Amino acid sequence: MSMDKPVLELVDIHKRFGSAVALAGASLTLRAGEAHALMGANGAGKSTLMNILGGILQRSEGQIRLGGTAIEIASPRDARRHGISFVHQELNMLPSMTVAENVLIDELPTQGGFVSRKRMRERVAAILERLGCRFSPDDTVETLGMGDRQMVEVARALASDPRILIFDEPTSSLSEREKRRLFEVIGRLKAAGTAVVYITHFLDEIFETCERVTVMRNGQTVTSGPLADYRPHDIVTHMLGDVKLEERLRPPRAPEGEPVLEVDRISRQGALDGVSFRLHPGEIVGLWGLLGSGRTEILRALVGLDGLDEGAIRLRKDGRLQPVAPGDLHAEVGFVTEDRRGEGLLLPLPVASNISFANFDKVLGPLGLIDRKRERRFGEAFAERLKIKLHAISQPVRTLSGGNQQKVVFARWLGTAPRLFFLDEPTRGLDVGAKGEILKLTAALAEGGASVLLASSELEEMMSLCDRYLIVQRGRIVGELPGTADKETLMQALSGPGTGA
Amino acid sequence: MRDNQSTSFGQLARRHGFLIVLVAIFAVFTLATDHFATFGNFIAMLHAMAPVVVMSCGMALVVLAGKLDISIGSVAFLSSTFAVLLMNNHGVPPVVAFAVTLAAGAALGALNGFIVVGLGINPLIATLGTMIALRGVALQLTNAVLIPLPESVRSLGNLSIGPIFVDILVAAVVVIAADQLHRRTVFGRQLNAIGNGEEVAAKIGIPVGRRVFVAFVLSGLFASIGGIMSLIQVGSISAYLGRGMEFTAVAVVVVGGISLFGGRGTILPGVVLGALTFEMIANGLNQMSANPYAYRLVTGAIIFVAMYVDAMKSGRIRSRRKKLAVRDEPGRSTGTIAETTSRP
Amino acid sequence: MLALTAEDRGALLRKAVVVLVPLVVALALLAVMQWQAPNFFRPNNLINILVQTSSLGVMAIGMCIVMIGGGIDLSIPANMAFSAVIGALAMRWGVPVGIAVMLLTGAGIGLFNGVAVAIFGMTPFVVTLATMTVVGGATVWITNSQSISDFPEIFFDIMLARPGGIPVSVIILLVVAVIASMVMSSTVFGRWLYAVGLNPKAARVARVPLERVLLLTYVISGLLAGLAAAMLTARLGSASANLGNDGVVLDIVSACVVGGISIYGGSGRPIGAVLGALFIILIGNSLNQLGVSYFMNLVVKGVAIVAFICLDRITAGRAR
Repeated sequence: MSMDKPVLELVDIHKRFGSAVALAGASLTLRAGEAHALMGANGAGKSTLMNILGGILQRSEGQIRLGGTAIEIASPRDARRHGISFVHQELNMLPSMTVAENVLIDELPTQGGFVSRKRMRERVAAILERLGCRFSPDDTVETLGMGDRQMVEVARALASDPRILIFDEPTSSLSEREKRRLFEVIGRLKAAGTAVVYITHFLDEIFETCERVTVMRNGQTVTSGPLADYRPHDIVTHMLGDVKLEERLRPPRAPEGEPVLEVDRISRQGALDGVSFRLHPGEIVGLWGLLGSGRTEILRALVGLDGLDEGAIRLRKDGRLQPVAPGDLHAEVGFVTEDRRGEGLLLPLPVASNISFANFDKVLGPLGLIDRKRERRFGEAFAERLKIKLHAISQPVRTLSGGNQQKVVFARWLGTAPRLFFLDEPTRGLDVGAKGEILKLTAALAEGGASVLLASSELEEMMSLCDRYLIVQRGRIVGELPGTADKETLMQALSGPGTGA
Repeated sequence: MRDNQSTSFGQLARRHGFLIVLVAIFAVFTLATDHFATFGNFIAMLHAMAPVVVMSCGMALVVLAGKLDISIGSVAFLSSTFAVLLMNNHGVPPVVAFAVTLAAGAALGALNGFIVVGLGINPLIATLGTMIALRGVALQLTNAVLIPLPESVRSLGNLSIGPIFVDILVAAVVVIAADQLHRRTVFGRQLNAIGNGEEVAAKIGIPVGRRVFVAFVLSGLFASIGGIMSLIQVGSISAYLGRGMEFTAVAVVVVGGISLFGGRGTILPGVVLGALTFEMIANGLNQMSANPYAYRLVTGAIIFVAMYVDAMKSGRIRSRRKKLAVRDEPGRSTGTIAETTSRP
Repeated sequence: MLALTAEDRGALLRKAVVVLVPLVVALALLAVMQWQAPNFFRPNNLINILVQTSSLGVMAIGMCIVMIGGGIDLSIPANMAFSAVIGALAMRWGVPVGIAVMLLTGAGIGLFNGVAVAIFGMTPFVVTLATMTVVGGATVWITNSQSISDFPEIFFDIMLARPGGIPVSVIILLVVAVIASMVMSSTVFGRWLYAVGLNPKAARVARVPLERVLLLTYVISGLLAGLAAAMLTARLGSASANLGNDGVVLDIVSACVVGGISIYGGSGRPIGAVLGALFIILIGNSLNQLGVSYFMNLVVKGVAIVAFICLDRITAGRAR
């Protein structure tokens, strides 16, 4: 089938947002009846490309050809008209309504002005039949499990009889069994001649479902071809590109001293599965796994931002490890979230108050009121120490550049002199200079005796800092590598047998 | 036909828990008074609650979309004022005058809809503003004095077919129409979808703004119908017309199992049961010659319980803190683990 | 990086508009009064305006604090009337007991709201609406719709005194305003509250005890309702359920909205609520003097609320 003429060709697509380049020559060729894996690390441009295909964004350059003819896709409606449909990662469900209504809500069949439940039910039943679903069109969505809801989302995408169906990370919330069912469905769609684009971070899935693969990196298509020509490890290498090995910021060292933190089989359904590890003073431990592997979830669960179903956390206090609740551990941790603007900072507030936020005890004047002078001096001291570029300590933190904003986050936690730092993608969205500074700062933290848990998708960054690596896959820690591990080994670890990348 | 959703007994009980309360209230008053459970009294109750039912239907549509309209009392007052002034001062025939009332109701609803959808203002504040302003206009027009209706119109209040008052029939027609609109039309289903989640609905491609606007227009229209009905019942217009009606309607809607978070519940039987609950309490307490002020207290308490149930059903109230085993054993967690909960 | 971004210019414009518009309206009004109703400027009337502002201002400060946290408290007037009545009944054990009971009753009802909102996660609007109904009903029941006016003379002597020509209630307002401003600008609680209102997720990451902070805002607004109860009972000479009529809640919301307190939480200052209250009373008083009916007054207030929210909306850059 792969010899057929392509159904859809995206040719040399470029997309610029102002001066920022999101796509710089992305191409994708899709054939009828094939499942085509679209891979790429975070920020590689997959979603931009798909948004262009979906009519949400307009390309700056390049061509879209449907069955050989060049077309324009000006709006989501246009995309649907051309037979292009999406199954989004986040489920757009109307929980209190029926499956049938969920599937057809934007084009309910009517008869004499009233919604024809009969026709609605028949149409949806037919789609569900095709999908091999056993629930009824009359079931309320909120009574369905996640897998079935995913099927409802698929059914909605199929309602317009698409020729091209894009799955955007469809399995991120599915159980193993639900995943099987989804794969069966994809098999059936392929058999019926639908072209499927499959976006995922899980390598094992693509080898199971897809015939061909396209890998993107930095807004470009770096390789494309039949999956049979690739080993998992090749794909990871293409995704991450040539890792320029920078000099290590400090030599790796073996864990020494008594552990500060002991994490004992913490679990949360659907996210974490018996995660255990120890953290020693002065070491930087990398949580190494791709997006969606559970590294962020581990960090958030430890400080109580997300719940835990079971497991224990012990923190060294008065010379021995003592059990601690995640909410209380939060008070001991400098936590840098991956969402700097949404969760890390209070954007409209001045730099000074963002820094003093966790440090009010140090800026109080008489009467227990916050002494603005001391607060300013406190902030300025950190601004100077971390070389935060600003024109006034009272300017809103929103007006700083990304790197300086991130330094403000660090400054806040540095003030509390915590023994533990959890850093989730601390350099995301920063330019090279700022990146380097943040990494140096991280090394300095460890030199100062703090223990650092670092999660990042950038290998070079991890390799310049980490003393050892915990390999995270599907909410589990599946292995550990020493800080001396080389790039090949680390990449291999991601594409190991039966694993998610 | 039921709303085509799973109709197991458990679901029914969950959705209409207040049915049980209603039966209990009915039983108590039946036992405690002589004339509560009589046909005549039942008709009297339906008669008294008819305007509330009609106005609550409009409120219900807005609430189903996840919004609120607290201006309905004022809309009812102002739109009825027009009719009274036209009839009394300009000799306009009642039919025309009431047609003007309906048009005014829809127009004032459109004003609310414009402020909410067009200007993007929080519906609570928007309708709070119109609630005050419209009442002010009406008071200015009537000079806040009691204006009796012409005799011919007043007699409509006793119009009945057999033992059934006409306004009961009107309320029945309105409530059935509103229910059908909600359950069986594209508009109603999409409104319900918006109440399920505005962003999700917009993403799926539902014209959120247009639907919400129409919901406000209907709310205004129903408010004016309810206004005419209470006008005729009372026989005159006074500063009290529609006063507090917004709160009563919210209460009726919540007690009727329609979620204030939107997208959940049905107009039939919800609104009727809700209105009946309050009417039975008022009527029963009255027959027991209870302190008339007890009514508000009981009402408030019932609203509170209904709200709590609503919040629970909508998943707003979770066990926010899961207690886990505190023993320090491997595989056991320690202390209290707080879930993150977003602010409502 | 250092230049003003469009966002900042938006924020500045917004600040300017939010401050300037009420100011211009107020000045225009005063000019009209000077021309049309010179009686307005008689010291007695001016003092009267301040006294009227005082109780509204105290309640508006309470509402302001709740609103900064992203909530709303519609039960303030009902709470105030209830506290006034309970406190009036307690006056028989002495004035201090009576006033203490007013404050405690107010705070207690606030606590109830706070628990429902912060702990049980119920929507503030509906919770406080229900509280308003229940408490209002209880007040009517207790008083049988009568007003209670047998207060010890000393109560009036204290509350209606005018040391240095300034009425006690105005002094109370000033003290409350100063304390509230300090709390909001220079205490840990104040900082936490702005954070919660601005961005609850970021607040949680920054270790803010969200629930406790929100709970406390309702207790404070309840407490201030209790204080307003004492001020208003003294001024009117009686306590009754009618103290908390519908009009009051609208005045409070209007005062906050005019005073630049965002209904979306996270911005606004107590002094804004006080000035907003002054503005509302000023409009009412001057329209009254101009012979405009109370009813048109309502219209003006209603339009003002919508207009100010509109202004706020139009000028608000996407600040977050």
